[in-house]
Parts: sequence; structure tokens; C-alpha cells
Amino acid sequence: MAEIDIEETAESTLFELSEIESIAIRFAGDSGDGSQLIGKEFANTSAIVGNDISTLPDFPAEIRAPAGTLPGVSGFQIHISSEDIYTPGDEPQVLVAMNPAALKANVNDLPDGGIIIANTDNFTRNNLRKAGYDSDPLEGNGLSNYRVVKVPLTTLHKEAVAHVEGLTNRQIDMMKNFFALGLSYWIFDRPIEPTIRMLEKKFQGKDEIIDGNVSTLKAGYNFGETVEEFQIQYQVKKAVVAPGTYRAVTGTQATAIGMVTAAHKAGKTLFYGSYPITPASAVLEELAALKNFDVRTFQAEDEISALGAVIGAAFGGAFAATGTSGPGIALKSEAMNLALMMELPLVICNFQRGGPSTGMPTKTEQSDLLQCMFGRNGDSPIPIVSPATPSDCFDMVIEAFRIAVETMSPVIFLSDGYLNTSAEPWKIPDPDDIPTISVEHRTDPEGFLPYLRDPKTLSRPWVLPGTPGLEHRLGGLGKEDGTGNVSYDPDDNQHMANIRAERLARIADRIPLQHVMGPKSGDLLVLGWGCTYGAIRSAVRRMRQQGYSVAAAHLRYLNPFPKNLGAILSSYKTILVPELNMGQLSLLLQAKYPTQVIAPFNKVQGLPFKISELADKIAEILGAPKNAS
Amino acid sequence: MADAIETLTRKDFVSDQEVRWCPGCGDYAILAQMQRVLPEMGIAREEMVFISGIGCSSRFPYYMNTYGLHTIHGRAATVATGLKVANPDLHVWVITGDGDSLSIGGNHLLHVLRRNVNLNIILFNNAIYGLTKGQYSPTSPPGTRTYSSPMGSVEQDFNAISVALAAEATFVARSVDRNTKHMAEILKRATEHRGTSFVEIYQNCNIYNDGAWSFATEANVKDDQTVILEHGQPIIFGKDRDKGIRINGLAPEVVTLGNGVSESDLLAHDETLDNPAHAYLLSRLTHPDYPVPLGVFRCVERPIYEEQIIAQGRQAVEDRGAGDLNALYHATDTWIVPEGPDAETVQEVHEELPTSNIIPDIEQEDPMAPRTALQQLLYDPISSLDLPVPECVSADTSVADAVETMRSKNLGCLLVVNKRGLLRGIFAQGDLFEKVAGRDIDLTKITIDSLMTKDPTALKTSDPIGHLLHLMSLHGFRHIPIVDPDERPVGLASFKVMLKFTGGLFSDDISPN
Ligand SMILES: Cc1ncc(C[n+]2csc(CCOP(=O)(O)OP(=O)(O)O)c2C)c(N)n1
Ligand code: SF4
Ligand SMILES: [Mg+2]
Repeated sequence: MAEIDIEETAESTLFELSEIESIAIRFAGDSGDGSQLIGKEFANTSAIVGNDISTLPDFPAEIRAPAGTLPGVSGFQIHISSEDIYTPGDEPQVLVAMNPAALKANVNDLPDGGIIIANTDNFTRNNLRKAGYDSDPLEGNGLSNYRVVKVPLTTLHKEAVAHVEGLTNRQIDMMKNFFALGLSYWIFDRPIEPTIRMLEKKFQGKDEIIDGNVSTLKAGYNFGETVEEFQIQYQVKKAVVAPGTYRAVTGTQATAIGMVTAAHKAGKTLFYGSYPITPASAVLEELAALKNFDVRTFQAEDEISALGAVIGAAFGGAFAATGTSGPGIALKSEAMNLALMMELPLVICNFQRGGPSTGMPTKTEQSDLLQCMFGRNGDSPIPIVSPATPSDCFDMVIEAFRIAVETMSPVIFLSDGYLNTSAEPWKIPDPDDIPTISVEHRTDPEGFLPYLRDPKTLSRPWVLPGTPGLEHRLGGLGKEDGTGNVSYDPDDNQHMANIRAERLARIADRIPLQHVMGPKSGDLLVLGWGCTYGAIRSAVRRMRQQGYSVAAAHLRYLNPFPKNLGAILSSYKTILVPELNMGQLSLLLQAKYPTQVIAPFNKVQGLPFKISELADKIAEILGAPKNAS
Repeated sequence: MADAIETLTRKDFVSDQEVRWCPGCGDYAILAQMQRVLPEMGIAREEMVFISGIGCSSRFPYYMNTYGLHTIHGRAATVATGLKVANPDLHVWVITGDGDSLSIGGNHLLHVLRRNVNLNIILFNNAIYGLTKGQYSPTSPPGTRTYSSPMGSVEQDFNAISVALAAEATFVARSVDRNTKHMAEILKRATEHRGTSFVEIYQNCNIYNDGAWSFATEANVKDDQTVILEHGQPIIFGKDRDKGIRINGLAPEVVTLGNGVSESDLLAHDETLDNPAHAYLLSRLTHPDYPVPLGVFRCVERPIYEEQIIAQGRQAVEDRGAGDLNALYHATDTWIVPEGPDAETVQEVHEELPTSNIIPDIEQEDPMAPRTALQQLLYDPISSLDLPVPECVSADTSVADAVETMRSKNLGCLLVVNKRGLLRGIFAQGDLFEKVAGRDIDLTKITIDSLMTKDPTALKTSDPIGHLLHLMSLHGFRHIPIVDPDERPVGLASFKVMLKFTGGLFSDDISPN
């Protein structure tokens, strides 16, 4: 995520390569076929050989859908590249289909000329029927636009492991995905050693399992080398990336690690209260495994309870956060306002998913922005930050805690399911270089008032129960400033509303200014937020290479906006705002900057933007490219 | 600190806020007793936190000069739970009403009790919504006329004590606002109990539900209509202490002492019973059929929620060492991009993973994958089984030849195929027993055509193993032919083979690679 604030420099460095710069490959099969596993392994190896990677798992819509059927198809797409990439790729150029259903569910995403590697052993009459094929698509010329490579994978695999003793049939069956992985390694010219090492470590002491997996991995690799059919092999050049130690990280992991970091560095307990909901549950599970970091997780009886407990924990002095998605935010809204009125620091994570109502739990959307902004009774200004990439979740969740503690306010961390499940390389920071959030708990009774305000931030003191002489009561009723005594006095109420608004506005003094990539002024600025970062950045870069003058900016602070946002917007004729909703940021911008021409660009299909969709839109707005230089 | 604690008086607990309940409201008595009892508990004032929901009763924290939170309707228990997990040393009271914790907060009440968080819940039961001016509540008996039930409530009411017991509460007690001495005693007991203490206090709302508990408060009737529970004592009540509760079968009955009924015939109270049945039975003694019990129904020990959470944290540190951020960041495969433009190689680093598992195990990578070996059965195709190749014969084979083949090859059955090799029948040992044995038949003369089972149930290689097991168990088949898509036999699933296979599932080290 380092790129986000960095001005893009020499563009000429970009398209010099003779080998392919990037390719996206999708593994698809039944849930049991291990597509997720080999996809992940392929991504790791690619990262190790120096490609940039971006991955996106695609889980079947139905849990436990029958094997071989369309709803049972599970997939994993990875994008490998020699330049830094920001999305798992629009369309895969290569599809590894383990059965007819996997072919059927994915083939439409493949561009003409794309490669299909099919496990013919699974193209039985029964499987064809389950997938809804009348005849074998591999036999007719229905796939003539693609290069179809037929591999009797199961048979070859069984031969490859035949010499290994002590394997059950089931174990043998489960290993066949490594044949596909080996073959993919050959096609994309990556080493098989990292995977062998992984297997040796993972199955230490289970020699027959190591042997079986390694044998079939090698057989898959050799198959590519020896079989005539395979005259396709690609080399993807190494990406030029900043030196350092890297790892792959998903948004889920980055969010969890970020929270732990914020609390640990401040010397605080991390309390995380949550009620399971897709796609938030993974963060709860991630944190529950980190109890040796003084992490206390609370699986609540519902989302209200989760936030209630977080309020209690924050009052008690913990770094406290809750995580959910839209339906859970709806339940939490009353308690969010309680935290606002009590002026307690805590973080509310919204990992958005398709809505409204139960909507599409496993699909991504950005349609809770206005819910987070306004979805509560009364005027309720709550700060909102939003990560742009999986690894940015780390930085932004720490930011959420920093703002919460500095402001004594609940803060919303607005992420989404796509960021949670996608992975990208993360340059591992030195924990010592991450600024510590300084926390002060008042202990001095002299002149103490529970709502005494810091003149700069307007925040009240964070006093821990247990501190002698500072006993006080907090509540959600209207109150007098300073004492916090219940008051329905008209002036008190107006004053407190003003304070809450001003307290939020002043956060803008303590967050970075908005950065712009590309020309400082001109015809078009593409302004996004959240998970659209990768697609927007790639599209804008592509269009600039084609001679268009277009800039991009990505908001990571949504409430308040960065101070210079108005000035930036006014430097462009049109602001294109792509969002995976029906136009929510657009609405906010139109309200705040009414003279600005805002061009909303929206979709809610459960899918991320494609680079090409955005590029086309930019071209549509700008017409023919004016060559800027 | 100890000195300070000892010298605390009632006054130290009185806040500067003006108390704003209606004159005559039962809430005053509860506040007064709380402020009276606390100085005796040996707890520092700053260690106390009163947390309430919304309602008349929930104004309580404002009047206590301790730490306090006036939260939102029904949710006090959740806030208290979080606070206790963050700081288990604090002494926390949850102040709530019958609407607050049995209606809108009913769910949270159940769960805080079940978890056994170490805090005290004081439920002010006035059987009415006081703050919202007089609507019926979950404890208003059927027929109660209120502003929202002018013709009488048609809802069955809750028995707060029964609810608490059903939710696995470890301390359950009841008192009444007018019996201040008893209330003080119960408040003390609740404070001393380790775990969630649940205290229901009958509280009179003299504005909207006056006299709801008069049977338990009026001097002339209360001794006959209530009974004070005393641990280890027989349950005796009445102005003259001449009545008691006896158990008849599963039902309690009121008896008068004398005339052959002695104290030893009465139910003796034991609040420490692990089985909540006794306490539950007492909770069902309701007015007017029985005297209503006041006192401690149940007081048992169970592990405390927040203490277990803290203990797990300690255990994790013991097992894995105190958390180290750098190790956490590196707890997966990493790679190094070296300095300098011509640095060619990317070094791969396989960290010896610290036990912290931020990166999920690879076998968890596919969350939709079937988890257990048995579930896997539902999905795996029959082709993944190691099945013997069947012995196939034509229908005109003589029975004698068939028997000879079966004997020499030790087979339980033969599959019968037509000229094109397609499955037409199955000839099994059972057919011999049923149709041949004991009859005077020349086995060389007849063919198996007349004895075999025609068009037997067969499965395809691509069918799931689960289907196979299902057919075997449903129809008692000992053999099921397995055929290819053209119905040519390619395998034979026998009962024996399947037994061996399923047995293997349990003994195998299943490696989900
Ligand atoms: C979410 C919400 N719904 C409704 C109310 C209105 N309300 C406040 S107190 C109350 C009932 C209180 O009854 P009870 O808990 O028995 O307390 P009491 O006033 O009798 O002590 C209601 C319905 C509210 N404050 N918040
Ligand atoms: S309305 Fe009833 S419960 Fe509320 S303060 Fe008045 S008397 Fe008490
Ligand atoms: Mg009430």
C-alpha cells in the first residue's frame, strides 16, 4: 500500500518488457478439489520468484452444494505480474477446470484465445448431466475460440502415485490437485521447490503423504515438459518492487494484525466483541488465535451485545473493537450513538457485503457508506476511515484506533468482503517504526470534570474506573458540557451538538492531505474509495499510457474528508466517482461541493469493477486522447 | 486503601444528583439499602461500577457516588460483561427493570446468566413500564389493565426467578422493597457471591401499578402469603409458623403442622443443590395458591466467564510466549527483495513458524471443503474406491459351471452380461440357497438365466460413495454392481469391501492435503 501516497513518476518505465507482463489464472473445481489450496500455493510461489500478486478466492454460493453441480464450484483467481498490480485481474487468461461444472461456471469469463486445461477424467456422462451439458463440450467445437488442453488428470495422477505405499484411496484422490499445480508451474515457468518444501514441513513424519504429493506435483510438471500439446509456456518477469522482506497478506489478516499492533504498542489489552457474520467472522477467528498478545475475544449473543461489551471494555480502558457487516451495523446503530454520547474510544469495523437485508453475503459491495454516515437517530457525526487494499487494512485500522483515542469517539473502519479475502504482497514493517498511539488516563482529581475538554481536540478525559476520587457517571441522555449532568436545557443541547460536530471537523487537522496521482488539474479526476483502488489505479494508468490526461485520487478518510479535497476537486472539470453502490459517495460530494460536476459510475452486481469497464468509462467522458506532452 | 474502606459511610455513596423518582416509589427503599449495605462490604468505592439500562429504575447509577453508566434500553448486561472482561477486578452491579431485562433485554439476561460473569443483577420488578407511563410488562399477570391493555392483558407473564434458573444462573434470590432488613441481607449475599447474582426485588410503582405486591408487603397478610427461605431449614410459614410445604409426587402442597404432620415431613430448603429442580419448584410457588418465597433460591459455584478468558490468555503466553509483533508479522512464508537495481535473486525465507497461527493452516484454506471423513463420503465418487473387478459370465452359463467358478475363485456372486457386455443380471450365493438347495435339480442342465436377479440395481462410478452405502443399508444388498456410463460392469461393491472401507476411515490418519 506504499504506493498510495507516492506520486507516480516516469511512466516510460512501464511497458518495456518482451515477456508477458502479467497473466491471470483461475483454478476451478468442486469444493473438495482444493482449488483454494493450489491457488494459494501458486500465488506464494509466484511471489517468491518475484512477481507481484493479487488473489481472490471465489467460494461457492451454497454451502455443501452437491459435488459436480454449478453451485458447488469453488474457484481461486490469481494475477501475477511484473509490475505492481492492484486487482486479481479482470478476466483469467487461463482456466484450470477440474470438472464440467467448473468449466461451465467460468468459461464465459475467459477471453477469446484463452486457455482451458480440463481434467477429462471428470467429464463423465453423469458429471456432464449435473453441469447441465447435453454433450461433452470438449468434443464439439463449442470451445473453438479457446485453446483447449485435455488432460486425463486423475488417471495420470494415479499412475504417478502408484508406487507410493500406504496411501488410502481417499488420500490419493485428495492429492490430485497437486498434479494440476505441477502442470501450472510448468506452463508459467515457476519452480516447484517452494511447494515441495512446504509439503515437507507440513507433513513432517508422514512420508507417504509427502511422497504422494511430491510425486504427482513432479508428474504434472513433467507432463507439461514432455507432452507435445503443451507448446505454451509463459515467463512472467519479476516485478520491480522496493527492497525489503515481504509476505502475502489478506485484508482479514491485515486488519487483525493491525488491531493487535495498535493495542500492543500502546500497552493495552485488545478487546474484540463480535457476532459471527460473513465476511466479518474471519477477523474474530483470526484474533481468537492471538490470545498470547493479550487479546480478549468475546463472541456475543448478537451484534448489539457485541458493541455493548465493547463500550464496557472501552470504559474499562481496553483498546476495544467490534466487527460485523451491514445487517449487524443496523443492529448496532443505537449502541453506536451511546458510545458517541459517552465519548468513549472504540472502533466499529464494517466489512461490507451485498445488501439490502441479507442480500448477497459472500459478494462484495460498498453500499453501507450512507448507513455508516447517517444511519442513526439524531445528528450523529462519527469518523469513518476506509482501507484501499488488503495490506492497507493494517494501516487504516491503526488509524481508526489513533483517531478514536485522540478524539474520544467511536470510529468506523469501513472495509469489505473483497478486501478481506483478497491477498497481496505486504512489505513487512518494523514494529518499532509504527507510531505508538499515546494514551493518557487522568488520575488527578483536582479540577476534574468528566466532560472537561481538551482545547485542541475537544476530547474529554479517559478516566478508568478504579481511579480514586474520579468517580463519575456517563450516559446517553442530553447533558451539560463539563459536568456531564443530565440536562434538557435548550442551550446545553445545542452546545453539545455543536461540540460533537466540531470535534469531528477538527480531525481533518490531524489526518494526511489527499494525494492525487497524475496531473494536478485537468478534465477528469477519478475519485474512489475502498476496494475499487486497484481497478481505478490500473485503469487510469492504462489510459494515461494511451495519452489521456486523467488523474486519480483515492479517499481513505471519508468522515471528515481531507481538508484539501474541495481544492482538489475544483481543479478538474469532471469528477468520475466509481462505486459498487448506487451512488453514495457521489451524493455526499454533491451535497458538500454543489458546484462540482460529479459523474457517478455505479454497479451492484456483487463483483468488483473491471479495469476495462473503468477505462471505457474514462474514454467515454474524455473522447479521443489528447496527447498531453 | 483499607483504612479508607473501613471509614466509608452511607453518605459516601450519595451523589450530588437530586433523586427524581415519584414520591412513594419503591425505588427509594432499594437505593437506601444499597447505600447502607455497600460501606459494610469492604470494597473501595472507586472499584464499584453501577450500570443500568433505561427505565425509572435505571436512573439509579446517577444517584450513586461510584462509577456509573446509564446505557440503552435492555443492554446493561452486555456493557457490564465487556467491562468485566476488560477489568475483572471491578465490582459491577447491573440495575434493570422488568421491561428492561425481561422484554427488550431478555436475550442478554439469558446469556449473562449462562456465562456466569462475576457481577450482580438487581431487577426492579414493578410489573409495569414505569418510565413510559404505565404499559403492561412481561411480568404483568394476564388480565392486568393498563393504558396499553385497557381490557386486560392477554399475555402469559414471565416468572423472573424461573427464567433465571432456566438460564443456568448460579445465584438466584428474591426480596421485596418494603422488607428492608431482608433486602439488605440479600444484597449482601449477592455481592459476596462469585459469579452472576440475580436478585429480583418486588418494587411498588405507586403511580402506575400500585399494590401489585401488596400480598407480600401488607402486615396483615404477608406472613401467610410469603415464606422466607432459609438454607437447611424446613419450609415453614404463617403468622403462627404452623404451615409448611410438603412434596407430593412432583407437586408441592401446603400442609398444616400437627395432626400427624411434623416438620420432618416438610420440604427442607437447600440452596446449594447442583440440580436446579429444587429451586425451580420453589420458584413455581406463586400467589395466591402458595406462599411466595423470598430469599435465596439457589447459590452454587461455577467457573467465572472473565476469569476463564484471562486464564486462556495466560495459558497462551505460557504455551507460545508473550506475543511478539515482529514474529507475528513473519508468521508465514516470506521473501526478501534485495537492495540495488541489479539484485537478481529474490531470497525465499521459510521462517520456523512461531506457534501463533495468524495464517490459517493450509487445510483450512478451503472453508467449503467437506470437513470430516464421513462427510467426505457424501461427495467422493465410487471410482475413488479400490473395488475388485467383477467376474462376468453370460446368461447361458450352467449353474454347475457358475458354482464351480464361484468356488474356485472364492466369489460371492457373478455378474451376468449380454453379448455387448452390458449388465443384465446378478447371480449370488443367496440364489443358490433359495432356489436350488434341497431340490432335485441337475445343475449341469439348467442355466443361471432362470435363477439370477434380472436387471439388478447398479451404480455408476461417478455416483457418490454415500449412495452406495445408502442402498446397502436400505435394501440389505450384499453386492452392488458398478458400471460405466454404458452400463458395462467395471467393479463390484460388496458388503465386505465397504465394511473394510468404512473401518479404514476411523483408523486412518486422514491427511487433508
Ligand atoms: C430502544 C428503546 N425502546 C423503547 C424505549 C422506551 N422505554 C424506556 S423505559 C421503557 C420501559 C421501562 O420499563 P421497565 O424496564 O420495567 O423500567 P421501570 O420504568 O418500570 O423501572 C421503555 C419501553 C427506549 N428508551 N428505548
Ligand atoms: S413511575 Fe412508578 S416506578 Fe417510576 S418513579 Fe414513579 S412510582 Fe417509581
Ligand atoms: Mg418496570
